[in-house]
Amino acid sequence: MRQLLLAITLGLTATAALAGPGHDGGEQDIPESEIDRTIEVKAGDLWFKPDDLSIAPGETVKFVIENIGQIEHEFVIGAADEQQEHREMMQDMASSDGGHHDMSADHHSTGDNVMPAVTVASGETKTLVWTAPDTANHDLIYACNIPGHFEGGMHGELNVKD
Amino acid sequence: MTSSSADATLSRRQLLKVATALGLSTAALGLRPAWANPDGISNVYPHGAVQGRDISLAVRRESLPIAGRQGRPITLNGTSPGPLIRLREGDDASLKVVNLLDEDTSVHWHGLILPPEMDGVPGISFAGIAPGQAFTARFPVNQNGTYWYHSHSGLQEQLGHAGPMIIDAAEPEPFSYDREHVLLLTDWTFEEPTDVFRHLKVAEGYYNYQERTIADFFNDVAKNGLADTLAQRSMWEQMRMSSRDIADVTGSTYTYLMNGHAPRDNWTALFNPGEKLRLRIINGSAMSYFDVRIPGLKMTVVAADGQPVQPVPVDELRIAVAETYDVLVEPEVSRAYTIFAEAMDRSGYARATLAPRLGMVAPIPERRRIADRGMEAMAGHGGMEHSSMSGMDHSSMQGMDHSSMQGMDHSSMQGMDHSSMQGMDHSSMQNTTTAGGLLPAGTAQPGSRYDQPGIGIDPQERHVLTYRDLKAYSPWPDRRPPGRELELQLTGNMERYMWSFDGKKFSEVDGPILFKHGERLRLIFFNTTMMEHPIHLHGMWMELENGAGELIPRKHTLNVKPGERVSALVSADAPGSWAFHCHLLYHMDAGMFRVVRVA
Repeated sequence: MRQLLLAITLGLTATAALAGPGHDGGEQDIPESEIDRTIEVKAGDLWFKPDDLSIAPGETVKFVIENIGQIEHEFVIGAADEQQEHREMMQDMASSDGGHHDMSADHHSTGDNVMPAVTVASGETKTLVWTAPDTANHDLIYACNIPGHFEGGMHGELNVKD
Repeated sequence: MTSSSADATLSRRQLLKVATALGLSTAALGLRPAWANPDGISNVYPHGAVQGRDISLAVRRESLPIAGRQGRPITLNGTSPGPLIRLREGDDASLKVVNLLDEDTSVHWHGLILPPEMDGVPGISFAGIAPGQAFTARFPVNQNGTYWYHSHSGLQEQLGHAGPMIIDAAEPEPFSYDREHVLLLTDWTFEEPTDVFRHLKVAEGYYNYQERTIADFFNDVAKNGLADTLAQRSMWEQMRMSSRDIADVTGSTYTYLMNGHAPRDNWTALFNPGEKLRLRIINGSAMSYFDVRIPGLKMTVVAADGQPVQPVPVDELRIAVAETYDVLVEPEVSRAYTIFAEAMDRSGYARATLAPRLGMVAPIPERRRIADRGMEAMAGHGGMEHSSMSGMDHSSMQGMDHSSMQGMDHSSMQGMDHSSMQGMDHSSMQNTTTAGGLLPAGTAQPGSRYDQPGIGIDPQERHVLTYRDLKAYSPWPDRRPPGRELELQLTGNMERYMWSFDGKKFSEVDGPILFKHGERLRLIFFNTTMMEHPIHLHGMWMELENGAGELIPRKHTLNVKPGERVSALVSADAPGSWAFHCHLLYHMDAGMFRVVRVA
């Protein structure tokens, strides 16, 4: 079991290295002209405001995430089940480590998918540019997957629809 | 702000009137949910709730069915445990206690920061409430969270003189939920508490039916060899302990209750699938630690002792006597779950069901076998390997007082397998002294074992909460480093049932422990006994130095494992006299009690 977890950890580290800045993904090279909409999201302890969003298919959105809470948070976009799978894995790793795992490292990849994510320290603001899929999708959510934060209330529905 | 309370002697007629009024309101409360959640119906606490600016509690001794038998508990407004008291942060509380017993009583509001004369400890805070009298505790409510209340008179708490208290927050809390339930754990006995205490005094191990047997002896010989087995046995004998003294009062007399209900009552907390529930877990028992889990559900710990902590997802948590933990659970499936609270000594359990409707049950997990203190306790004993101590600088080991280890024969310990002593951190022992002689604020003391959940728990089996996991959201207001340290040894002699601080029973000490008003100090508790002790300070928070630096959590009750050294920072900001004691009821009564005077 420990060896398996170690393998997973190494795998994640490798992925993170390849993915580059990852959580600072806000600084992607996307010109302002291609951004259809800017959405401000406030992250607190332990909530997001707004707590649900509707975005048109194909729309490119710049999320401006301000952490007004007292502790670090994440803003991760992905399918609800993928995010859940990811959270469970992170929690298992945290428990095998006595709960002292550094959760701020890049880790938002399951299988082939890399979930768009940004980590925001207390008092900071970060941006994340994201283009909605071309078809309607009702399974997407945004969430903070630092252990316990999702359960505390840090998630919202991200409806892709016209 | 605080007006002094009015003690009123009531006439017999007035008394009856009050009693009738209170009795009737209780009956009404029992029929329907007394407190409604805006998001739907809630049976937050099955014994009803009292709230508002003027709250009354009538204290009586009466016959009530408990676990299918007739018991004679002390009731509050007709139930035992008592009603849920619900206050609002920012309000002024007015809590009237009417004594309808034929002996003195009192109510202590556990974990609340309030003026000393409202704290409810007879002989320290006030005179107590004589039969036929009333006392009204009035104080501003300046905190929020999950707390409880109980008698501080004699052994009354053992008779069910306790209840839950919730203080609703003035500002939004750092988590959200749809519905809440209170889970109040208690230990009930049909024996009179004075008889329990007498049994403990005259016969150590009276309630311990799990003593090692001759069969265990031969198993040990097969496993460890004859010499080691004999050495261990003689060690335990010399310490006047049994290695199976996990608890001194056990399931052989106790029925473990959840919200006043025995396991077979199947008390049920309702939910709708997909709802997020806040469970407010309170250990209001006299002597019993519990390991709480809900098979099939992850619990996210969001508060400890009423104070918010950064969330910790766990599968199980150990709750010491007098502690409270708030957890969130999110049952998504329409099925029943068992809320399982196993006594630490595995002699029984309390149980309730979490279900979408009444009448459902889920499997009850198999009870784990009793743990043997064996090596674990010895590892704890000073938290170090004795043979390796020769090269160490003993002068820097504060708190190690070998002379106090009564009855321990170090020479007989050579036969022990030291390699199995987990939790020892020799490297940290060398860092005991820093500039100024004190460790930096928030640092874990050498000899602490905050990353271990404790005896009888296998951390590999599931993820169990430890003190190391507890972190505040932001630093508490007083960030001064401690100006001094005060170390207290938790001491005891199990065979004679003597429990004390620094080897002196309360009746033997000359005066109070003095805190200078305004000072910031570090309390260190060094447990030289083989049992856990939940140490409770009245009137002031203790900031548990669990290594979380500026984000150390604050608590009203600290569990100190056998052999462990635990430290806390205290801001001595509450002038007056305060109780300070082990919250195991019979340990407190036996003398593990002091008065702290802040002046």
